[in-house]
Amino acid sequence: MAETLEEPPTLLSTIGEEIIRIIAPVSACMLLVVLLVSVLSSSSSSDAPPTIVFSADSETGSSTWDKLKDALLSSIAFVATVTLLTFLLVLLFYFRCTSFLKYYMAFSSFIVLAILGGEITLFLIDKFSIPVDSVTFFILLFNFSVVGVMAVFLSRMAIVITQSYLVLIGVLVAYWFTMLPEWTTWALLIAMALYDLAAVLLPGGPLRLLVELAMSRDEEIPALVYEARPVDQHTASNRRIWRSSGVSSNGDLVQESLPETRLVVAEEAVVSEVTAPLISSANVDHHRQENSVDGIGLGESGAIKLGLGDFIFYSVLVGRAALYDFMTVYACYLAIIAGLGITLLLLAFYRRALPALPVSILLGVLFYVLTRVLLEMFVVQCSTNLLMF
Amino acid sequence: MERREQEEDEERRHLRGRGIVLPAWPTVDGPLGLSPEESVAYARRFFRWGFALLPWLWAVNCIYFWPVLRARPSDFPAFSPLTHLRPYVLRSAIGFTVFTVLLSIWALTFMIGGKPLFGSVWDDLVMYNVADKLGLTGWY
Repeated sequence: MAETLEEPPTLLSTIGEEIIRIIAPVSACMLLVVLLVSVLSSSSSSDAPPTIVFSADSETGSSTWDKLKDALLSSIAFVATVTLLTFLLVLLFYFRCTSFLKYYMAFSSFIVLAILGGEITLFLIDKFSIPVDSVTFFILLFNFSVVGVMAVFLSRMAIVITQSYLVLIGVLVAYWFTMLPEWTTWALLIAMALYDLAAVLLPGGPLRLLVELAMSRDEEIPALVYEARPVDQHTASNRRIWRSSGVSSNGDLVQESLPETRLVVAEEAVVSEVTAPLISSANVDHHRQENSVDGIGLGESGAIKLGLGDFIFYSVLVGRAALYDFMTVYACYLAIIAGLGITLLLLAFYRRALPALPVSILLGVLFYVLTRVLLEMFVVQCSTNLLMF
Repeated sequence: MERREQEEDEERRHLRGRGIVLPAWPTVDGPLGLSPEESVAYARRFFRWGFALLPWLWAVNCIYFWPVLRARPSDFPAFSPLTHLRPYVLRSAIGFTVFTVLLSIWALTFMIGGKPLFGSVWDDLVMYNVADKLGLTGWY
């Protein structure tokens, strides 16, 4: 009885599943933000401007030029803050203050989950008049946030729980960002996309420095990063693989890219969240398992990592599109997924840390503008004249 | 010879009938999760922290070590650390169930009983009034 020879798995055999494993949480995040936005803002909500934003939007009668000016100023201020904080992060990482960064990450997750999450739950309770009592509410909120902090902080926790909490943190922060005035949101998105491009690809960019530091030291950056579950290369030999925590694979592998971090300043409290804007994939080691000794093999199976900042900004784009109409939501969703697919393909080609924001955000903004200006009129006219749709 | 084969067949059928695989990996993540030795410390830590009014942590403990909960104690190989693991997971499950039952009794009584049952205290305890009083929802 001859054993069937296993062909070496090609890139194509697993790329579908890998892509799905990263698109599913991104879509879930966007869906939740769209739901929250459409449920909680059916009434005309006045956007009270947050602290670091210059705003003329809420005043009636301000001209387009004023709004544009304020939007640009706000977004430049934001990007400048993020750049400063990222350089600070690089400095801290250079001086090996890793434990401080981890505690800070845990603290900011707690703030996001408890305070932002609590606020959003209170909005929902108000809206639907759910007669929950305060004791139960505080116990549930306390449980939710403490376990969330443990999921983010502890290195070994159920993968499902960690992934769900990361998606939830993304949803909560993205919902709060959709409360910014409209022009500011769009200017901010474009500015962050350009910043991401510069920070990762330029030689002096803070994120590139961070990646190179982490690679040279062979450490992981403490950051909020969503890591997709690795796809089994060989399902049969899966049991023999014991993933060693943090140990890089030996020898002759292609370079291993690690995620990078970026601090995102939340508006209300001046609390920064350490998030990573990049996609990177650890190595896919196809042939290592054959050299295993006594059936125990050491290796790291490939896993795509997407920074939480990307989740947040994608969801902000889709959430802001939802504030206009659902047609723009569909268009922007497709644009973002297409952009994410393109970025993943580029990742497969270049095998280094890449910025995940620019392609998706720029495509998303383009599609939003086109839909709002051109497509909507077309669809509405066709529907009202009973021609199509 | 034949009788031994019969015994082996019976054992195999017995195990297959129960549909339980000996838990080589105690966590629900399989090879990506903890090894049996590390799990005991983790389960113990989760169990103890759960007493700080954290039933959800007990539930996470049960979810994480689900294969251990499902398998029967006789399935474990002798002297494996999994025999020490299982009591913690079991107690977490019991604790979670008890706490959930108590909390739901209180919450449902509050919701369904409402004002006729509690009187004016209901208005003081219900969340949207507490939020308004503490000014939690006004400042976005």
